[in-house]
Amino acid sequence: MPTVALLILLIIMMAFIAVIMIRPDITAARGGKILAFLGLFIFPVFAGFAGLGSHIERSKQTSFCLSCHVMEGYGQSLRVDDASYIPAVHYQNNRVPRDEACYTCHTDYTLYSGAIKAKLHGLKHLYVQYLGTPPQSIKLYSPYNNRECLHCHLGARSFEQGAVHTADTQTMADIKSNKLSCVSSGCHSTVHNVANLNKVKFWSPAP
Amino acid sequence: MTQNQFISKRLRAAGILIMLGLLVEALSLIWNHPLSFVAFLGIGGLMMFAGIIIYLVSLVSDPR
Repeated sequence: MPTVALLILLIIMMAFIAVIMIRPDITAARGGKILAFLGLFIFPVFAGFAGLGSHIERSKQTSFCLSCHVMEGYGQSLRVDDASYIPAVHYQNNRVPRDEACYTCHTDYTLYSGAIKAKLHGLKHLYVQYLGTPPQSIKLYSPYNNRECLHCHLGARSFEQGAVHTADTQTMADIKSNKLSCVSSGCHSTVHNVANLNKVKFWSPAP
Repeated sequence: MTQNQFISKRLRAAGILIMLGLLVEALSLIWNHPLSFVAFLGIGGLMMFAGIIIYLVSLVSDPR
């Protein structure tokens, strides 16, 4: 649900609840009881879930991820003027939506994966950012999964018929089963590489 | 205290908490910042939850 629509809905709900607060005696009648049940139970529950969905959608934005200081280098790595940088070449050529660049390649990261523990990791990041001491460097909780690459590249001609990918039948099978990593097997190994950002040129999009 | 007064008092308390919760949610949606999620969940969510509980308890409570 768009944020503006949700805000309008919240204002309507507040007006509805205000009526019940000003005239609680209307709840003595059957119709009033139904109104109170809607205003004080159904609407707030709906608003809570709608708000949660809206916040989760918003957290997928690149600007959200890059608002933490520790992520600055990763944001800069998207503008490196070097086609061997995998995130940069995806970002600059619109192979991922620029406003959701981080999320597109990290769909399983903290808040977005299923387990409660992973969601708590997301809250821990907030704690460390604002109340703790952010680390100098960060790393993924688990090795990068080929699934993140394959949800776009699977079926693509460049992937399915690539000379190295099809060198032998086992290679393709290992890539697809995540036994042979796309990024850490030496094939597409230049990823964010934030330690070397002071040695590279940057690309600037046309204004 | 009559039953009506008791229920009215509980409904007002529930209404205030839920309205404040909705207000916090609205503000958190306007504020584009990672902390807005914490405010939404930790303050708004808690207020709405408390308001809903007070309302539900008022439905089954006997003031006598």
